Amino acid sequence: MNETVNMCRRCVLHSAMPGVNIDHESGLCQFCRNPSEFSPQERVLAQKDMDALLGHTRGEGSLDVIYALSGGKDSSYGLYRIKQEHPDLRIRAILFDNGFISPQAIRNARTICDVAGAEFLRLTVQEDLLKRAFRNAAQSHDVYPDAARLRASDICNTCISIVKQKLMEAAVVSAAPHIMFAFTPGQTLSPVIRLSPAFMRWSRSLFEAQLKKMGIADDDEMFLLKKDVIGQGKQDGARYMIHPLLVWDYDESNILRILGDIGWVPPALGDKNSTNCLLNSLTIFNHIQKYGFHPYACEIAGLVRCGTMSREEGLEKLNGRVTIPLVKDIAEKLALSPEYSP
Amino acid sequence: MNDVTDELIGFLRTKSFLDEAVLLTTTDSLTERGIIDSIGLIEFVDFIQDRYAIEIPGEYLTPENFDTLQGITNLISQLSK
Repeated sequence: MNETVNMCRRCVLHSAMPGVNIDHESGLCQFCRNPSEFSPQERVLAQKDMDALLGHTRGEGSLDVIYALSGGKDSSYGLYRIKQEHPDLRIRAILFDNGFISPQAIRNARTICDVAGAEFLRLTVQEDLLKRAFRNAAQSHDVYPDAARLRASDICNTCISIVKQKLMEAAVVSAAPHIMFAFTPGQTLSPVIRLSPAFMRWSRSLFEAQLKKMGIADDDEMFLLKKDVIGQGKQDGARYMIHPLLVWDYDESNILRILGDIGWVPPALGDKNSTNCLLNSLTIFNHIQKYGFHPYACEIAGLVRCGTMSREEGLEKLNGRVTIPLVKDIAEKLALSPEYSP
Repeated sequence: MNDVTDELIGFLRTKSFLDEAVLLTTTDSLTERGIIDSIGLIEFVDFIQDRYAIEIPGEYLTPENFDTLQGITNLISQLSK
């Protein structure tokens, strides 16, 4: 980082990131000057609201919740805890196998489903289609808006968009009223989001346009929420997207301890920011190469801001080196152009 | 620009990723200009509902109503009556 770049003195954001404004007087970014994260009291109230919603809104069919499970620590813990707190919830956990999920993460996902008492489903898409999408994302510079690329890498934005589209579809088709993601307090601020059919249509059209920019038509709706599904089902066809980790205390060491006790095994992927996906090192390398900042900076800044990670720990994560042989290996598997490989 | 528009821009500058140097007109597309993504949109909706004490029905969450400052101020005015 050169000497003209200013770093927020409270979190880990810096002025080389588009849209990050460091105030000269206070030395703080706009998010630290105007924090939006929940206070402990607000978190208690938000948890009551979430629990009440889960308590009184049940599915018309055999499921209440479609759960996004990656086999990583956050989603594994989220599933275990939500079943501890709401044992009656009928949950289908969907693992989106993007072709790069580590075998240990898949074993972990199955273990957690068995222990928690949730149905397990492994969702896959044709491998060559996925690789093409990830390759085009990695080689793109303008597919996602600044706001999205500040939150995640282009590959991760593509992957998570597919997951969101397909989980919305699964919730509508199975008449489950809730969709659950284990986003951390650094990744989003809203614990419960009402997804109306109009919002689903908009979300679909935004992702469709992004896929087209990547040169992907997706006429068969392999990645997109199927158009004719939207609006099906009870009442007004709305669903709720719930992020339980936002209303619970987020303590990574406690989460790892609990998971260890129930048979979750940390996969040895060789990087400090992912416990499930082998693409991760490449996505970090690619993002820094293209945009000059770490794709996890915003997430880590949010965790630092709400006190669940120290600034030093955050900086250590961001300054950790990616494993170059792993990056090269994945770049080869995706057939990336040489300029996008180390 | 009116007070509501100023407040909306204030939110985008202080709680989102709108650079201080970027000039925004009331008809600019917030998604096309990269100012909000789908997550940012949800946070923006939360802010508007809280700030103006209105409930935005799901069917109003469309690009026509929500992708420009003009569309949003019209919607707030309509729902505040």
